[in-house]
Amino acid sequence: MSGVKHTAFINRLKSMLKVDARRMFTAPTVWIMFGISLALPVLILVMTSFIGGNTENGEAAAMFTNVWQAIGSAGGNAMSMDIASMCNINLLYFLVAIFVCLFVGEDFRSGYVKNLFTVRSKKTDYVLSKTIILFAAAAGMFLLYFIGAMAGGGIAGLSFDVAAAGASAGGIVACMISKIFFALVFVSIALTLATVGKQKLWLSILGSLAAGMLLFTMIPMMTPLNSGAFNVVLCVLGGPAFAAGLGAISNLILNKTNLV
Amino acid sequence: MNAIEIRNLTKTFGEKRAVDGLNMTVPQGAIYGFIGENGSGKSTTEKLICGLIQPNGGEIKLFGKDHRDQGVRAHIGVLIESPGCFPNCTVWNNMKLQAANLGIKDEDKEIRRVLHLVRMDGAASNKYKNCSLGMKQRIGIAFALLGNPSLLVLDEPINGLDADGMRLMREILVDITKNYGCTVLISSHILGELEKIATHYGIIRHGKMLLETTAARLNEDCPTYVALKANDMQKARTVLERAFGKADSDEATGEIRVAGGVKAEEVAKYLYENFAIPVTQLRTAKINLEEYYINLMREERK
Repeated sequence: MSGVKHTAFINRLKSMLKVDARRMFTAPTVWIMFGISLALPVLILVMTSFIGGNTENGEAAAMFTNVWQAIGSAGGNAMSMDIASMCNINLLYFLVAIFVCLFVGEDFRSGYVKNLFTVRSKKTDYVLSKTIILFAAAAGMFLLYFIGAMAGGGIAGLSFDVAAAGASAGGIVACMISKIFFALVFVSIALTLATVGKQKLWLSILGSLAAGMLLFTMIPMMTPLNSGAFNVVLCVLGGPAFAAGLGAISNLILNKTNLV
Repeated sequence: MNAIEIRNLTKTFGEKRAVDGLNMTVPQGAIYGFIGENGSGKSTTEKLICGLIQPNGGEIKLFGKDHRDQGVRAHIGVLIESPGCFPNCTVWNNMKLQAANLGIKDEDKEIRRVLHLVRMDGAASNKYKNCSLGMKQRIGIAFALLGNPSLLVLDEPINGLDADGMRLMREILVDITKNYGCTVLISSHILGELEKIATHYGIIRHGKMLLETTAARLNEDCPTYVALKANDMQKARTVLERAFGKADSDEATGEIRVAGGVKAEEVAKYLYENFAIPVTQLRTAKINLEEYYINLMREERK
């Protein structure tokens, strides 16, 4: 009997994922977000390398001297944040939060939830599927930002010296993995706030941005450029655990409140 | 087994009791006309049935099972307020989403079938936001029909439809109930249209069920009257009122209506023989659903 239930759950989740994937990739929002993720580092790196400030000697001082600065800073000291460490890949967490709010909010604003929840009473499927699909989109955005940063660094003529950035190739890979899994925290926060806000998109976006601001200083500490196994394990286990906790809250909200 | 069985259903929004101890029984295979004034609780009841809002109390059973049961819910088609489509997606893509939601195997074939049913074959590639109100309403009906549901819940589905659309809607609803055993719960203010298809009625007021009846019983309960036009309308009305107790002027048709089961010939003969008033037009008619409903509401307001 439990086997039957398990299969039913897997089937339900599969079909829900199919719906969400179709829904995501047939709408323009995700492509716009992917485009922004790719273009943003190119614009930042190219533009800041041409309009850098002046040093005491009167020489031009570019904001970024090494391409890896666009990915993160070594050491991960949250208190020593400068403009360069704020204008790096960590900006994407806010973009991810906005995307989650837009994607989930559209379900409520269009009235699609009426069709969906009339035929599907299990809200867990919805929350789980949304978390997975939005996490996948967030991962895509991070990878595109990485590609954009490489291209932008190349165009701007920045150094690709890993050692000069205080990291190693393995550290950078670990950093990216950590950052991608840390995005689950932002995805689940925004998802929960979107289920609270429902049709009120402004409420979920403002709430997500405010929550993001609170967590923003944590990101360099959790995901430094020279990340190690500890950072990866922390994010790979912590992200899903956080998402599971907030997912349960989202599920409760959807079950206990009016959907339209 | 009843398709819908509701007992003591209650829903409050703040201080307002939108649904107040409602009882409702919709037999399987019925076309149930759900009637009530604006704000009487029709849409709220329908949303409660579909599990879109949470009740404060009471019980809803669909085909004998709790309304939250996943197995039962998978067989409901719904059109409440609007079709719930993504405006920037095409009609086809919107329908593909719902077909996937329902787990329909041959999605394309089924979508083509329902679009053909509502005569919207040509609109599949249109963006939903570019469709007219009437088109959107037809698309909404097509949405609700996807996967041959056992229960259709329709909230004001006729609004915005042209005459052809209304006729088509009637044909579809009668067809799916007769040939597929579907049960339809339909709320509408266009009672003339509802009267043509409904087999059962529920009249709701202030969140309470005022009356549940069948079309056959309603037909028996609707009194007949004699409608006439005469040369001297004012005098005719005065004398008829004196003689038969009740004679009203119908402003819409300009006729005098004499109620109380009196025969048409008897009325004409009375006017001509006693007052030399010739009757120019004479017919016997039955009050319709709209009049029955208006009279009922008038009585309730007293």
